[in-house]
Formats: sequence, structure tokens, C-alpha cells
Amino acid sequence: MTARTFAQALVVFRKELKDWSRDRRSIISAVIGTLFGPLFIAFMFNTMASRQRQVEEVKIPIVGIEYAPALVDWLRQQSGVEIVEGPADPAEAVRTRAEDVVVVIPKDFVKKFNASKPAVVRLVADSSSQTTRPKLQRVRGILQRYNAEIGSLRLMARGVSPVVANPLGVEDVEVSSSQQRAAQILSFIPLFIMMAAFMGAMQIATDSTAGERERGSLEALLVNPAPRAAIATGKWLAGTATSMGSVLISGGLLLVIFQSIPLQDLGFRFRLGTPHLLGTLATVLPLCTFIVAVQMYMATFAKSFKEAQSYLSLLMIVQMLPGFLATMYPVTSKSWMYFVPWVGQQVMLTDVLGGKPPTVWMFLVSAFLIVALAAVAVRGTTGLLQREKIIFGR
Amino acid sequence: MIAVENLHKRFGDVHAVDGVSFTAPDGKVTGLLGPNGAGKTTTLRMLYTLMRPDEGRIVVDEVDAVADPEGARKRLGVLPDQSGLYPRLTAREHIHYFGELQGISGRDLATRTADLLKMLDMTDIADRRSAGYSHGERTKTALARAIVHNPGNVLLDEPTNGLDVMSTRAVRDIIRRLKAEGHTVLFSSHVMQEVSALCDTIVVIARGKIVASGTPDDLRSLTGHQNLEDAFVALTGLEVVER
Repeated sequence: MTARTFAQALVVFRKELKDWSRDRRSIISAVIGTLFGPLFIAFMFNTMASRQRQVEEVKIPIVGIEYAPALVDWLRQQSGVEIVEGPADPAEAVRTRAEDVVVVIPKDFVKKFNASKPAVVRLVADSSSQTTRPKLQRVRGILQRYNAEIGSLRLMARGVSPVVANPLGVEDVEVSSSQQRAAQILSFIPLFIMMAAFMGAMQIATDSTAGERERGSLEALLVNPAPRAAIATGKWLAGTATSMGSVLISGGLLLVIFQSIPLQDLGFRFRLGTPHLLGTLATVLPLCTFIVAVQMYMATFAKSFKEAQSYLSLLMIVQMLPGFLATMYPVTSKSWMYFVPWVGQQVMLTDVLGGKPPTVWMFLVSAFLIVALAAVAVRGTTGLLQREKIIFGR
Repeated sequence: MIAVENLHKRFGDVHAVDGVSFTAPDGKVTGLLGPNGAGKTTTLRMLYTLMRPDEGRIVVDEVDAVADPEGARKRLGVLPDQSGLYPRLTAREHIHYFGELQGISGRDLATRTADLLKMLDMTDIADRRSAGYSHGERTKTALARAIVHNPGNVLLDEPTNGLDVMSTRAVRDIIRRLKAEGHTVLFSSHVMQEVSALCDTIVVIARGKIVASGTPDDLRSLTGHQNLEDAFVALTGLEVVER
């Protein structure tokens, strides 16, 4: 490419960016594509955190506090437990979701308790409600602990070892669900970053090709003594710029979110920091060049903006496939995968986020391969712009 | 100067342009006249190099347009059949964009743009986005960006089609002015009055072939009709008339 051709490509580049920045539709779609991932992840973590807090810090409304002072005192001493006076009509309060769980202590509690008979404590709850279940479990667990403690004391008072009363020792082995959910959220990150790259590119890729055909401005543009390569390259550079911009903003926001969430408090062992972000950018930014080039190539076949968008939504599904498959069937990365364009980037992203980034050479080689492929696609678009069917076909 | 020799273009079985030859000299206005579908637009598209002729030669100021399309495009200012604008750019930005693609920049471009805006009487819309332009304003903008590089040869495909009286006048003025400055002007039209009012030479084309060419007077005497419109009907409706 000569200096003059490149100068002309820059003219096209500047015009396309200016045109793009004035299009409300393009700005909106870029903003959605960029912010969706970070917002989604922030929302997920926020929900998890608040659930966790809800379970740990439990407020127990009790009806009939005065009937079982010893029990209530014991409950008050448990960490994270707050005792409040229960509502007058517990069943109604639960039904209207004013309370999740209400503990009702009957009048004859002390009498039965002192007679060593089972003293009834009622748990009023609606277990069909999703949010109630963890809380109900927590309250029941606390009461069972009290049950076991008093039971042991009674047995010891009668000279029997409490162990006798426990023929089974049931142990819970927690295969942490929240840890799993965290891993799932992490596996979404590549998808979201790819989406930012894709949506950030889409407007220029369609508007500068199919849009140009639809408006009938392509013919006039091509009459200029600029080589087709300059025009295709300029448009491609403009799309690459918006795509990369989207990825940078999206990635930066993700970093901010991960650093502002107290992950340790949520019981997660991983951290997401600047090295992860840099690795992600080093993987995805070269990929942007390819995404834009392919989108432009496909959109050039379309006679209208709408037609182009339907092609690109198909492309979007195809491009998300490896990411989806990876979340469903986590495969161990094999070395050949790194050299398959597109798949290689997905594998590298997984490695980067998993804390095992590939070597610098790997980054360089895969970036080189993907940019070379992008150049091939741009060349394809240049070829399309020579075709009379494309220039005049409306 | 534009010289065309034995131009052919086929689309499948249709022989859209069938052996067209003519010359459009410097400082003259040449009209390509013919009914719809006669091959005017196809001929022009080959002249401005976006379409490749199956056969024939096109020379633009000594440059072979088939062998060196880019070289030919440098010498051409074109108002194509489709000259859509970018709705989010202003008239001034349209002119700048094409000027920069032609390699003009800085002060030269600013002066040239101001001149064009004044010449086409469009200073009041210069900095408004083209989305709300009238048909006349769109045509003027397309014309201005087409001749921003002051090309020696100007090709206009039905430039006054659908314009109101004032805009038609503005376009005619431009054509006369370009002629006075020594440019080659070639434009197509299917409107007799348009052509007779402006042209030094008329090339009549029908069914892909040239059926007659000459000054308006030549055409009148050729057909024996005093009225040019009758001459046009006689020419395009008949078999090829011997010249």
C-alpha cells in the first residue's frame, strides 16, 4: 500500500468515524453492547452477596418471647441472630410476605420443657417462596442446635453419654454452590467481551457497506480516484476503532467491578486484577480486526442495512458458539487449538482468566495470524467493490 | 476531451450498448439524448469506469480509461445515476470528503469549497445536515462534490431529472459556466428541451445504438422536422438513420 493510498484510507477512516459519532442508533447499540456484560456481572454478584448476607444475618420474629425466656436468651447469644417481637397474626404476615419465617412459642412451652417432654416450637413459613428456603433452613438449624445441646445436657444429668443418642454421624460435604456460580460467572466474561467487540463493530461495518449501497452513495464514492483498497481499508480501520473502543471500555468496567466487590467476603478464592485485564485485551484487541473485516465482507453483499443486520445476527450466533460450548463442555486446551483462529482466542481467554496466561510468544503468534486473516477478508471486500453487481445492484 | 469508439456492453442476452462511438470535445456541451432504457446510463457508467466495456475504447484526455481507470477518474467529475448523500454530513463536509479523496487539502480545499457553495447558491444550507434537504439541494450538493477537484471533463447523468425550475436553472448555469471555462461537458437526458437549450452537439441513442448526432440544426435538417421534438421521435422511433 502506497503512502497516497494510505492517506486516502485515513480520509475514509475519519469520515466514517464522524458519521458514526453522529448516529444515535449506532451510539445506543455500542453502549448496550459495551455495558451489558459489566452490568450483568455486577448484578449477579450483587444478588449473590445480598443472598449470602440474608442467610448469615437472620432476623427472627418470635411470637411468645415471654413463654421461653431461656431459649430466647440462648438465641440472642448466637452470632448473626437478631430477635424481634413477632407479628400478631403470623400466618397472615407470612402469606403477605411481610415476614419469611416466624417462630411461634406456645403458652405451655415451659411446662412441657420442664417435664422433659417435647416442647413444641412452630415455624411458620411459606416454603414455596425461593427466598424463604435458605432462611428457614438457617432458623431450623439454629433450633436443632439448641435441641441437641439441651438433649446432651439431659442425658449427662442422667449419667448417660450423649454419644449414645447419636447412632449416626452425618456429615455434610459442601460442594460449594456459590463457588460454582462464581466460576460460571467468570466463564461468561469471554462471551461478554466478544459481544462488546462484535456490537462495537457492527454499525460501521453495516452502515459503510450495505448502508452505502442502500443510500445510493457508493457509486459516487467509487468514482473518486481512490483505489478500492483505500476505501475498504479506511472503513475497516474505522470499524476496528469502534470495536476496540468498546472492548477497552467493557474490559475496564469489568476490572473496576471486580476490584470493588469484596470477593473474599463472598467466599470466593479467585481475584481478577490488572494482569487478567491486560491478558484479555492482548487476546481480544487483535481479534477485533478480524471481527470487523468479516462483518464488512458479509455486509457488502447486502443491498440494505436491514439485510445486512440479518446476516450479521446469524454471524453473531456462529461466533458465540465456541464460547457457549466451552461453558457447557469445558475442554482442556490442546496446543493445536491456539492456532485455530477464533477458537484460539477463546482458549487463550479461558487460560488468562484461569490465571494461567500463555507465553508472550503465543500472544504474538496468535495476534499475527488473526490480523493476517483480517487482511485477507479486507482484500475480499476490496474485490467485492470491483464487482458491477455490487456497485449497481440495488 | 472524451472519445468513445465502438463501445459494447451485454447483460446476458441484452445488448445494452451496441457499438457506440462519439467524441465530446473541450469547451463544448455534448448531450446524450435517448428514451428510457436506450443505454445512456450504461454508456456513462463505462465512461466513468465503474463498468467495464465488453469491447471498445474510451479515451479521456489521452488516458485510456479501460487500461487505467484510476487515471481517467482523476480527469473526470461525475454526477452518477445514483448520487445519494450521507444524511448525517453537511454539504460542506460532503465537498470536503470528496476533495480530500481527490488529494486536495487545507486552504485550497476551503477556498474551493467556499467558491462552489457560492456558485451553486447554497451557502445557507452549507452547514446543515443533508437529511432534510430538498431534491434540488441534494442534487446541488452531489454536483458540488463531483467537481470539487475542477476536473477537465464533467459527466452528468440526467442532472435535472425531477428538479424544480429554480434548481434546473442553477444546474444549467453551472453547465454553461463549465463550458465557458473550457471544460468538456457530457450529459444525458431524455428531455428534448433540456438538450436543445444547452448542447452544442446532440448524440441520439436508441436501443443501444447511436441513431444520429450533430448540432440541433443538423438533426432538424436530417429528419425534415422543424420541431426538435418531432425530430427526436422520428429518430428514436425509426430504424438507424443514415448520416
